[in-house]
Amino acid sequence: MTTTTAPVLDADGLARSFGSLTAVDGVTFQIRPGETYGLLGPNGAGKTTTISMIAGLLRPDAGSVTVAGVPLGDRPIEAKRHIGLVPQDLAIYPELSARDNLTYFGRLQGLSGSRLRERVGAVLETVGLTDRAKGASKKFSGGMKRRLNIGIGLLHEPRLLILDEPTVGVDPQSRHAILESVEALSTEGMAVLYTTHYMEEAERLCDRIGIIDAGSLQAEGTRDELVDLIGGTDTVTLAGTGDLEAAERALADLAAVEQVHRDRGALRLAVKGAPRAISGIVNATAGAGMTLSDVEISRPDLEAVFLHLTGKALRD
Amino acid sequence: MRSVLAIAWVELKRFLADRSNIFFVFIFPLALVAVIGWQFGGGGPGARVSVVAPEGEARTALVQSWEDAVLAVTVRDSAEQLRDDVARGDAQVGVVLSDDAARAFEDGERMEVQIIQGTGSQAPAVAQAVRSQTEAVASEARQVGALAGLADPATARDALSDASSAVPGPRLLVQEPEDPLAEEFSGAGQFDVGASGQLLLFIFMSALTASVAIIQARRDGVIRRTVAAPVTTGQTMVGLTLGRLVIALFQGVYIMVASAVLFGVEWGNLWVTMVVVLTFALVASGAALLVGVLVDNEGAASGLSVGLGLVLAALGGSMLPLELFPDRLRTVAHLTPHAWGYDALADIQRRDAGLLDVLPEVGALLAMAVVVLTLGSLALRRSLSRAM
Repeated sequence: MTTTTAPVLDADGLARSFGSLTAVDGVTFQIRPGETYGLLGPNGAGKTTTISMIAGLLRPDAGSVTVAGVPLGDRPIEAKRHIGLVPQDLAIYPELSARDNLTYFGRLQGLSGSRLRERVGAVLETVGLTDRAKGASKKFSGGMKRRLNIGIGLLHEPRLLILDEPTVGVDPQSRHAILESVEALSTEGMAVLYTTHYMEEAERLCDRIGIIDAGSLQAEGTRDELVDLIGGTDTVTLAGTGDLEAAERALADLAAVEQVHRDRGALRLAVKGAPRAISGIVNATAGAGMTLSDVEISRPDLEAVFLHLTGKALRD
Repeated sequence: MRSVLAIAWVELKRFLADRSNIFFVFIFPLALVAVIGWQFGGGGPGARVSVVAPEGEARTALVQSWEDAVLAVTVRDSAEQLRDDVARGDAQVGVVLSDDAARAFEDGERMEVQIIQGTGSQAPAVAQAVRSQTEAVASEARQVGALAGLADPATARDALSDASSAVPGPRLLVQEPEDPLAEEFSGAGQFDVGASGQLLLFIFMSALTASVAIIQARRDGVIRRTVAAPVTTGQTMVGLTLGRLVIALFQGVYIMVASAVLFGVEWGNLWVTMVVVLTFALVASGAALLVGVLVDNEGAASGLSVGLGLVLAALGGSMLPLELFPDRLRTVAHLTPHAWGYDALADIQRRDAGLLDVLPEVGALLAMAVVVLTLGSLALRRSLSRAM
């Protein structure tokens, strides 16, 4: 979802070097309210360094960060109040209970009294740990610890939530729960910065995606925009009976269809923007006397985009 | 300020949540205070005597007199059992009264008593107490025996008692030999010396071992997350330092209260004692910061903390009183904060010293605290910037 309201995060020309190593070089992007922005790149691409600068943990060599209209460089304490950071590490105190962990980090965020208790209770409910609130968190499963780790980032209801690879090492069930939570947060209007090297997570969650490699943002846009960047076409496979030859001719006349092949009892089409073109394709086959029994759309994925842009696989 | 207190509070909570600390923080210090008090303090429940004697007037009179001297007496059936008691340390002294000796006692004649002294530090004192009491009882028996020729024993005993009360006893001028060591310890109760030593040892040790928590928090990224909250690096540093200080003070106050309640330890002027404890705890907190920041491995930090804690405590008079050190070693001992703390507490406990009296010791501790806290803060600031 992209809107025209003022951005919650404005990262402008961020750069950071460590000695002779340039970790991040001129990264610029914005995130608007309710938008989930994915920073997609392999390990060592510069995702965590970028996040550290945005979260105020690392001073950029160049560039600026503005959060909810507050410049982080000039007013760091005020800007950090709008940020919820969920680091890749399980940054919790294992000896303490979930409630004590939340209470501690809530106090650091300036919450106190009944407001603090209310928020701790609400977050425990959100992350599904109300029943385990009093037990030492070191006894939690990996998924429960991850959920607590995320809950801490939500305590003070930040305008910008930064999730740094939140599903690493998580079982499928917890992973599903985490992804659902993130989807729900963006529908509530929170801006989410999500880093991952799991392409399927980025495809599912992110309204826009920035592909980062070697410290630079190689490309950004919606999934479809990124696919279009590499001139990618979708493959549509039509199975059915009737006059396949007539259907082949009718489909070849459609503007979106670039190629048609007849392959035994099926037609294989190269289509630009298949989701938008599919109704025209179905109508054309029906008009040509072909009765469809199965339709399959295969789209180029972000893995292919990444490979095209960087010359290497996402998990390299 | 609220953030600083939150950081300090969570450090104390983590410290108390660690179950292994229950023994080392709550039980072990008091056990050592008790053992050292019984070992070096003299008297107390440790003064035990075993006796082998035939049943009769002699045994009854002797046991009664020893018990009057607050000795715990056990009557054994055989000399072999008695020797076992002494050998195992169950009794500091054994007394063997033969049948002939018991008869001599009853006849008012000179009797021979065999006293077997153990090897423990208390044994000479207990043997002396047994000897004095036995001589007093035997002397009375002989006096009654001497009068027995003039009257029946009961009348003789009454006459002796009347004579004793009618004639005032001699005025005794007891001149003790000059003993500087005894003067050093005069004014100290049985458990006082042990308690002050253990107080310093455990304040330092608990603060140092809590440095492991800093390493864990650094490793788990919790410190990084703390700095990402709306707090400054300075607040984080003060909070972490305050956390160590709170742990050190908690340990100190616990030992002071528990030892006063359980063993009657006198801490002297409490306010002055707390000033000494606070300055000593500041040194311990700085040392803990340094270890927590400079060492990356929890096992290594744990070993270093225990090792350093024990060596400094031993050198600083927390295990063996400083007064027993040779002069040169006593000078070297004052390189440790423990020795300064020990001297100050000794003055407060034994000589009712006030703040002005212990100002040199407090000043030395403050100087040490400034040095280690500055080094620790610099190291922590560097570590925080690396963590980012």
